[in-house]
Amino acid sequence: MDRRQRRNPSASSSAFSSPASSSSRFRSEKFSSNPPKTSNSLEDAHQLKSKCGKPQRPKQEEEGEQDPNNLLSLVGTCPFMCPAGERAQRERLRDLAVFERLHGNPGKTSPSLAVKKFCRTIATKHMQASDVRPLPVLEETLNYLLNLLDATEHPFEVVHDFVFDRTRSIRQDLSMQNIINDQTIHMFEEMVKFHIISHHKLHSCSSKPSFSSVHYLNMEQLKKCLISLYALYKENRNSNSIYKNEPEFYSFHVLLHLGSNNQPLGESLSLWLGRVPSLILKSKEMCFARRLLRLFRMGNYKRFLCTTATEASYLQYYIIEPYINEVRALALSCVNYCGYKLHPYPIAHLSKLLMMKELDVESFCNACGLETSTDERGNKFLSTKQTNFHYPKEVFPSYCLLGLEHF
Amino acid sequence: MAYLSMGEAHRRITEYLNRFSDAVLTQDGSSLKQLLSISSNSPLLLSLADALNLFHDSNRLLKQSDRFSQISEIVSPLFRSIQNFRLGNLLDSYNAFEKAANAFIQEFRNWESAWALEALYVIAYEIRVLAERADRELASVGKTPEKLKGAGSFLMKVFGVLAGKGPKRVGALYVTCQLFKIYFKLGTVHLCRSVIRSIETARIFDFEEFPIRDKVTYMYYTGRLEVFNENFPAADQKLSYALMHCNPHREANIRMILKYLIPVKLSIGILPKNWLLEKYNLIEYSNIVQALKRGDLRLLRHALQEHEDRFLRSGVYLVLEKLELQVYQRLVKKIYFIQKQKDPSKAHQLKLEVIVKALKWLEMDMDVDEVECIMSILIYKNLMKGYFAHKSKVVVLSKQDPFPKLNGKPVNS
Repeated sequence: MDRRQRRNPSASSSAFSSPASSSSRFRSEKFSSNPPKTSNSLEDAHQLKSKCGKPQRPKQEEEGEQDPNNLLSLVGTCPFMCPAGERAQRERLRDLAVFERLHGNPGKTSPSLAVKKFCRTIATKHMQASDVRPLPVLEETLNYLLNLLDATEHPFEVVHDFVFDRTRSIRQDLSMQNIINDQTIHMFEEMVKFHIISHHKLHSCSSKPSFSSVHYLNMEQLKKCLISLYALYKENRNSNSIYKNEPEFYSFHVLLHLGSNNQPLGESLSLWLGRVPSLILKSKEMCFARRLLRLFRMGNYKRFLCTTATEASYLQYYIIEPYINEVRALALSCVNYCGYKLHPYPIAHLSKLLMMKELDVESFCNACGLETSTDERGNKFLSTKQTNFHYPKEVFPSYCLLGLEHF
Repeated sequence: MAYLSMGEAHRRITEYLNRFSDAVLTQDGSSLKQLLSISSNSPLLLSLADALNLFHDSNRLLKQSDRFSQISEIVSPLFRSIQNFRLGNLLDSYNAFEKAANAFIQEFRNWESAWALEALYVIAYEIRVLAERADRELASVGKTPEKLKGAGSFLMKVFGVLAGKGPKRVGALYVTCQLFKIYFKLGTVHLCRSVIRSIETARIFDFEEFPIRDKVTYMYYTGRLEVFNENFPAADQKLSYALMHCNPHREANIRMILKYLIPVKLSIGILPKNWLLEKYNLIEYSNIVQALKRGDLRLLRHALQEHEDRFLRSGVYLVLEKLELQVYQRLVKKIYFIQKQKDPSKAHQLKLEVIVKALKWLEMDMDVDEVECIMSILIYKNLMKGYFAHKSKVVVLSKQDPFPKLNGKPVNS
């Protein structure tokens, strides 16, 4: 297996950097397609040069940045999914998740069950190499966790809660060791997938109010994972090629901008798009996402819904899903506002336009404050120019697009 | 390089030191600023650089006289910066300049009046320009360019020194503009927010009291930010301010402003004349304007496609894409006019089929359902007045003002 582990090439030059975000720290480890040996010797040369060129100077104005010298030395050696020390401690404290209990015993676990917890406050300085898992162990751990998602004996929320926390800890170990390579990219893609699928599953059971915060936290981690993944793609990019999944994963960012909030990720989409490489912008997946965004912003509900139904991948669909009812509500609002008063609008036709069953159209109309009627032949209609339209108040069941039930 | 004697080198350095020290003593800002603008390649600094590179022990001269002790913290690293700049070592030149700049700020803080503002402007400008060059040098040897970011942190410090009460505040906007240039270049425009807040919420200082040059630059950058946020009325107000107050002879600057102002104006229904696009070489917009005039959706698509890269990079793509509804409005209006010429009594009833045909003629494949959807959106967003009758597949236009003008307001969202 081609495993390239990159560490900070030049500690002394990093010490001069101003407050650095993780992305700029990444940038200093420019990944090249050269064989590791050549690039290492190149780095050594730089390191030597910068050491000779400048006197060592104490670090200044750097907050939150890890000590580069430490980064240089941190290579995990923990062979287990959970370091032995943490395992023993959590046994003692009976702090074991259901998946970690040996024979259901809340005070007993084993190396094949325990998985390292995410730790909020972590000082890299005091981090022992034996507490950090190297890449192969992290890969194994991730596979183990993702397989748990198929476990049916526990409710999804319980599995999600566990995998959510333990994948976070995987990312923490990866970033502490500054591992940037194809394996990491793959791992991040898998973790993004996990959060998108969870987004979908939590959405469908989000009628219970206690899930809305879980839903929110999941979305937050999804965004963070995506940002890290884009940084990894960028680091590993050579000029003329892109990763196989890169276009689809980029399209998620655009799709997250559906909806009325213009800047869900804190930066305007216009600026972001300006930095995306052309090859990705012109990919099929990005063109789809951009087209969908255009249709959404324009209000073209007809084309929005049928384009989604025919072209979205299942991951793209899961991100679009929450906006589908928003678009349907817009459609009802338009039909109600602009339709001829003497011609009530046939529900059968709405069912075709909105891609939902007639019965569901009726209850959706009602949830939007609109009344429906039935004529003497049993045909149902939406009378127009009603004044009580409002967007559905409570979280409304997300009726699947007809024809897309397989997702 | 002409031959330079050791004595001449000594004389040049001493002269520079005297001028520097005099400028500080007499609080002569405009003399001082000339001694700092190292990227200007002025004859004065070039000859000094050569002298410094010949005469290695300039620090001894600094220590020789007591009158230089006050300025030595600034001048000693400044000398190194000037030397390295002349030798093309841009990274070293930047690092030394940052030291000098920090020492300068220390002194500046203690001066009660704002006499040294001109000199401070030069420092703020130089540190940005030098950082950009140092970053290019870093990138060329495969290292992380990080100096511009460092220059940003330094300028934030300078901003802090100026932004309080008192006579120095008038300089805060210049530093703000230098910061904007850095943040836009680095793609970290979110960092503009705190500076903007500090400028715009200050009650103690009226914005109009800042120098006109800085006000124009400030309005240009904040206007661009509003474009990215698609806040068109604010973008229009800021960019128009920049256009109205900028130096009319600086065509390049006018072009930069128009590049953003034109999409904003289009969004609120105001079209530029063709001569304007030609004069300022903004012909990439001319087909878009044509499309809006003619109701030609195909032309809009093509124009967006043709200049896609350019529009995406400058950040106006999504703004231009939004013009689609206005183009639809124009198309329907044209059909309405044609019908009116044939038979005024039936003009206000448009068959959806006719619109489908018109779109087909433009190579746009749409069925009656989608056309109905677009008609209802036009009505919903008040680009058209009337209603549609689903059963008879017609849209009936209001007899009064069927196509309301935007009148400087964006399309309802």
